[in-house]
Amino acid sequence: MTPASAALTTATAAAGTHGFLSPTGVEIAFLLVGIATFGAALVTVTTKQLVHAALWLVATLGGLAVEYLLLTAEFIAWVQVLIYVGSVVVLLLFGLMLTKAPIGPSPDADSGNRWAALTVAVAAAGALVWVVVDAFRTTWIDLSGPASGSTKVTGASLFRYWVLPFEALSVLLLTALVGAIVLSRKAKADTTPTPAGTPTVPGSRREKEGAR
Amino acid sequence: MSRPSPDPRHPSAPAERTRKSIPGSGLAKGLAVTLRTMTKKSVTEQYPDTQPALPPRSRGVIGLFEENCTVCMLCARECPDWCIYIDSHKETVPPATPGGRERSRNVLDRFAIDFSLCMYCGICIEVCPFDALFWSPEFEYAETDIRDLTHERDKLREWMWTVPAPPALDAGAEEPKEIAAARKTAEKLAAAQPNPTDPTDPTGPTGPASSPDPTDPRKGES
Amino acid sequence: MNGALDVALRLLAVFVVFLTFPLIVGQTEHKVMAHMQGRLGPMYAGGFHGWAQLIADGVKFAQKEDVVPTGADRRIFQLAPAVALLPYLLVLLVIPIGPSEGAVGQAVDAGIFFVLAVMGVGVLGSLMAGWASANKFSLLGGLRTAAQLLAYELPMLLAAASVAMAAGTVSLPGITAAFEWWWLPWQIIGALVFFVAGLAELQRPPFDMPVADSEIIFGAYTEYTGLRFALFLLAEYAGIIVLCGLTTVLFLGGWHGPWGAVGLGWLWTLVKTALLAFVVIWLRVTYPRLREDQLQKLSWTVLVPLALVQIALTGIVKVMIS
Repeated sequence: MTPASAALTTATAAAGTHGFLSPTGVEIAFLLVGIATFGAALVTVTTKQLVHAALWLVATLGGLAVEYLLLTAEFIAWVQVLIYVGSVVVLLLFGLMLTKAPIGPSPDADSGNRWAALTVAVAAAGALVWVVVDAFRTTWIDLSGPASGSTKVTGASLFRYWVLPFEALSVLLLTALVGAIVLSRKAKADTTPTPAGTPTVPGSRREKEGAR
Repeated sequence: MSRPSPDPRHPSAPAERTRKSIPGSGLAKGLAVTLRTMTKKSVTEQYPDTQPALPPRSRGVIGLFEENCTVCMLCARECPDWCIYIDSHKETVPPATPGGRERSRNVLDRFAIDFSLCMYCGICIEVCPFDALFWSPEFEYAETDIRDLTHERDKLREWMWTVPAPPALDAGAEEPKEIAAARKTAEKLAAAQPNPTDPTDPTGPTGPASSPDPTDPRKGES
Repeated sequence: MNGALDVALRLLAVFVVFLTFPLIVGQTEHKVMAHMQGRLGPMYAGGFHGWAQLIADGVKFAQKEDVVPTGADRRIFQLAPAVALLPYLLVLLVIPIGPSEGAVGQAVDAGIFFVLAVMGVGVLGSLMAGWASANKFSLLGGLRTAAQLLAYELPMLLAAASVAMAAGTVSLPGITAAFEWWWLPWQIIGALVFFVAGLAELQRPPFDMPVADSEIIFGAYTEYTGLRFALFLLAEYAGIIVLCGLTTVLFLGGWHGPWGAVGLGWLWTLVKTALLAFVVIWLRVTYPRLREDQLQKLSWTVLVPLALVQIALTGIVKVMIS
């Protein structure tokens, strides 16, 4: 939800600097897709059917991928689909299928602290939007020129200017991976009398998340 | 991906087990088998288009040679699931010679086999002492109604035509008793009649030439 | 106007390929599988060796009642076949069949990523079907589908990354254009890993655990009837086309051939794809189904390390020749 609204706001902010009166077709498409994505994100968090929420998440993430595409960031868009729709949601659905999630609304899907959650969400969204708008206020993507988000450009900037954060992230993920393996092994050794299936599920899940 | 164990039929199998086989050679062998089978001619018989060549002793259907039936009821009584229905009445035959005694004879009125009950055990054919029942390889008598599977004597008599001729005897085998008896009678007749205008075939008197020989299938059967 | 016509023609061509090629593969599977088992296969429909069998099957499917189970999640249940089928149509758009500019439905810059991403979405259809059917066998099938996808997506991606490294581009026409004959031995491990992982992702035998019909009926598709079921089957065969086409383009050089690469390049692509499709059928006939644990083991302990070895090899050779 937060990235969606952030993208939405950036779009309006960017359009604002170039004038609202004569928006191009791409800008209109961007705005419409943004609204749809935002709507899907809202449904994701409000629906009482768990699997529906996961599938609406697919719509949200797909909408985000379309937004990336409209901003010429083709590589990022496909990786978004590959990782989030292809793996994370599949993992989510896999986890849901292991639970007793019913077909139809789950009666206990509502949490008591929804107001706290809403507050945190709005605060996070506000902070993100503020940071993004402040950072990229004057940046304008030239859609007609050579694609500024193609694989070549992305790769070059990633490994030329951002290689340190990239490597730091890699190390972080590796640590998570190793940690997941260690945790799952330890849990297995501790809980030998309990059914073997239960401790491995969260372990393998964390492991997969680490692997990506 | 465990490799299949070596084929015990191959004489080289124990040698292969001791020799270290290349990993994946079992997988390759499987692929070779399917590919080889593909290049061979398939064995499918396209049944409705081409009739299957059934062996003569196939248990397809039971034919009735009703001329031989004496209504002895042995078949009906021996049938394990009671699927043979026989009705008959007695007829009095006038004496063969004037002043002789009248004889009574059983006349077959109905002979039916319910093939929805029949389990094709062939006991009726085995027990028939007069060679009136025969196996036929004919099998195309499916019906849409189960009641239509009870076939009457005319139908059973028609199936007699599909009973194959028995296989030839082995060279040097003893002559069948029936034929030997028939030949002896024919020789006696020939000796009694001095003018040989009617040279009889040794097998001739055993039955009409057009109908299948009732004695011989029995020999093929047993 | 000319541009619009061009786009329409391309879309039409891809659509025709999408509708006919899976049928051809299906019919070939009928016949090849039959002959590999010493049978004849369909012989009646259409007269000559049952060539119209799949058309007859399609007519039969269209006549059947479209049943949605009472307990099912109706909307998702009905949407699932489309989610399973459409991604393959999208993938077909970007597979180049010839060397010229016009020999691809739509050139995509990050072609490999597009293809792999969209194929991953296709599996979502099976998951939706498995969950929404309100049937325990479907649910088991869905679970197995998910587990299999998670296991085999990684080696497939790594193998594709290897060939992208070798070519120095991630666009499919670019990779094919950079192909040299000696890439074949160089990338052979990657090609095998890609093909096997792709087979597993398509749930083709011997990786058909998610639809294992002798134990969980038909997995996620158990409750489907009529046209929706046919769509799932069509998705499977379209998946074969896509996988074989991709392997051809990435690892076998696509339109490259000993002769006629310029004029008859498209023929080379088709021949290679057809050969691979034959191999897919061949594997199905030959091998028994892998057990679920064998499946996972094959991926994590064989394919992933092999793919990593291939990437290392690619990197070393690439550095040495540049």
